[in-house]
Amino acid sequence: MTITRRTFMESALAAGTVLALASALRAQDKQTIRMIMEDIQVFDPVFSTSSAAINHATAIYDTLFALDANLLPQPQMVGKWDVSDDKKTYKFALRDGLEWHDGTPVTAADCVASIRRWGQVEASGQLLLERAADIAAVDETTFKITLREPHGLVLETLATTGQPLFIMRKQDAKRPATEQVTTNIGSGPYRFNADLTKPGARYVYDRNEQYVPRDEPASGFAGGKVVKVEQLIWENIPDPQTALAALQSGEVDFWMTPVADLFPTIESDPGLVLDTLGQNGSDWLVRMNFLQPPFNNVKMRQALLHLIDQKVFLRLLSPDPKFGRTVSSMFGVGSPYSSDVNTDWFKEGGDLAKAKQLIAESGYAGEKVVILDPTDWPEGNLASQLLANVLQKAGINAELAPMTWSELVVRRAKKEPVAEGGWSLLITYFSDFEIRDPMATSLMLMNGEKAWYGWPQNEEYEALRAKWPDTETQEERKELAREMQRIWWDYVGVVFLCQTLTPTARSKSLVDMIRFPSIERPMWNMRKV
Amino acid sequence: MAPYILRRMVSAIAVMAMVGIFVFLLIRLTPGDPAAVMAGRNATEQIIAGIREQLGLNEPLPVQFIHWLSAMLHGDFGTSIFSGRPVLELLLQRLEPTNSLSILTLALSVAVGVSFGIQAAWRAGGLVDRLLTVFSAFGYSVPVFVIGYFLVYLLAISVAWLPVQGYAPIEEGFGDWFSHLILPTIALSLPFIAFVARVTRASMLEVLSEDYMRTAAAKGASSYAMLVHHALKNAGVPILTVIGLSFAYLIGGVVLTETVFNIPGVGRLVVDAINNRDYPIIQSVLILTSGVYVLINLAVDLAYTLIDPRIRY
Repeated sequence: MTITRRTFMESALAAGTVLALASALRAQDKQTIRMIMEDIQVFDPVFSTSSAAINHATAIYDTLFALDANLLPQPQMVGKWDVSDDKKTYKFALRDGLEWHDGTPVTAADCVASIRRWGQVEASGQLLLERAADIAAVDETTFKITLREPHGLVLETLATTGQPLFIMRKQDAKRPATEQVTTNIGSGPYRFNADLTKPGARYVYDRNEQYVPRDEPASGFAGGKVVKVEQLIWENIPDPQTALAALQSGEVDFWMTPVADLFPTIESDPGLVLDTLGQNGSDWLVRMNFLQPPFNNVKMRQALLHLIDQKVFLRLLSPDPKFGRTVSSMFGVGSPYSSDVNTDWFKEGGDLAKAKQLIAESGYAGEKVVILDPTDWPEGNLASQLLANVLQKAGINAELAPMTWSELVVRRAKKEPVAEGGWSLLITYFSDFEIRDPMATSLMLMNGEKAWYGWPQNEEYEALRAKWPDTETQEERKELAREMQRIWWDYVGVVFLCQTLTPTARSKSLVDMIRFPSIERPMWNMRKV
Repeated sequence: MAPYILRRMVSAIAVMAMVGIFVFLLIRLTPGDPAAVMAGRNATEQIIAGIREQLGLNEPLPVQFIHWLSAMLHGDFGTSIFSGRPVLELLLQRLEPTNSLSILTLALSVAVGVSFGIQAAWRAGGLVDRLLTVFSAFGYSVPVFVIGYFLVYLLAISVAWLPVQGYAPIEEGFGDWFSHLILPTIALSLPFIAFVARVTRASMLEVLSEDYMRTAAAKGASSYAMLVHHALKNAGVPILTVIGLSFAYLIGGVVLTETVFNIPGVGRLVVDAINNRDYPIIQSVLILTSGVYVLINLAVDLAYTLIDPRIRY
């Protein structure tokens, strides 16, 4: 048989049509949502604080309480609860229909074990355990928390969102917090499909047909967790250009963290939408080593506050002005406790003359300042270089110490002087939601060794922080927050660089995604049209 | 030949052992901490220290080495620090995509590269020969990811004939498997086609100028018989060497293509493991890769005897 040019062209077109049809059918499957998410390196949300682990856990586990869209705690697994008149005993009854993915019922003993394991690592959980005289099951579905003294934040603690209290089976929760749980059996709205999952590449979640959602409409992480699709597939696509092409071609429906230089392309595509989904963003900051010269001197830290012009860092870290803003409150931008107290004097920043004056007053004698520079994290690397440049202009003997992030996390734990392998400054970010109150993260501590890297120490501040759990109303907390912020900025706990918002990108056919200020995302309610 | 094969197998084990020791020491002496990566960006020092203790990363290096060696001698490649799953299971999951891509790439490279090289040598200085020069420069100099993005734009986004990314296992259907591999295979093949074609051309040119080729022509042998039966067979040794080297290179060197086309292969497994300091995966994959390298070289050496009867071991 002779192959003519016409036959060849016809065959090629036919083959192309068949392939295109297969591709189109894949894209139109409305019962499967494909999402580009971060790689899940660790599955256990107690063992790891990574947002990937928390998102995974949000899909497969459930929580006792959850924050609604107004950041108020609402019951989730709990059906009824009450508190004694002396406010020392809380009793919680689980709602009907709660079942593990292996078919066994969720019991109060599971809840008690989960609280104890989680309370070993999460800051507000640690406080709850410190104040609890006993946490015990009353019967199969009821448990109680008995406190030594009243604690005004019990429900807020049980509903916390940074590193939430996910309820695990007792046999899983009995493991030490430093030993990873990998069974992935929860009682949440999705079941983890280990057979179809390929670690490092793809994670598959099937709708949990046995899950009984609450009757209330979904609101934040609270309300009814109604799953409207049969399967979620989380793809790990490390290359941004490939991720964009997959989104444009309809092979995936959602991209959690598109890179900033692709925003214009996404915005110009009529089938796609960029959306922050209500996130408050990430607060970039410089952390000083408070133990070693020169930043053990408060005047040097205040000089740094004057020196940093957040607008310059914004241009670097968030080239699109729509997705960035400045931060001045120690509680970030979106917290009910954010205020302007004691920020007027440094808010504008970029005051080189004032910074130089303070540097001179501090008695700075040209000591070497080492900035930990994570070269495998492009934004962190750029911000570190800019910081070094700003410091050098002010006459500070700043030097970059280039290293991978993995090396950086080892070096940042060193308390020694820079000559012995220590450090002076490092750049990182916390989610704005994480720093919303002084109990939410260890960054907000100023208790020396127990505080986050840099180890600041201020007794006056810590005395105020200790009062926080005893407050009963938000107004009381707001007043306390203002007082704490006054001390925080006199002492200079951190120096903010700016806030960046990371919008998600998605196909316009993916609708009804729940909006919430945290980075982690509720994975229910959404559907494809 | 049997003693030769046995000697080579013994030397392969020695090579793998040396690679194992070298890799074990190298990755542990490189700064970095898997416990810190696992705990998350802003985890506290106490949590990281607890994880380090739990994973046995605080044990002295010689103790860790003895644990690892003893497990390896029992055929236990260990467990991934991160996913908690056996390394062998993870590796087997990733072998199929990498092997599929490597074999298709090699088949395309040999088919096109050898044909192209023969044509160029047969009409040296002609149009095909000059085209080969241009194509070789293009194949060598344009990076795989540029070709990859271009093909994706052209065939996956503009006309939507092929998938942009991903991999479909062959058991889910040949069509889906093949359609996912077309673009990465073409992108990855171009430098190899150029390489194979250049070596084939050079080798064939040398043979074609031999006296026995003139004799074959004088005896009235057809062009096909001259090229395939007389010339190609005698030019085969360097071509076979290049093909063997290419296959060995492909097994370990498809990282970029796997990244651009989001193929969950061995290359990405190793890169992720290096970034996370997942020691058991890095060690096992590098040891096995070195073994594959040695075996491919052995296979190539043995294949020489099939095409050149003068070679004997």
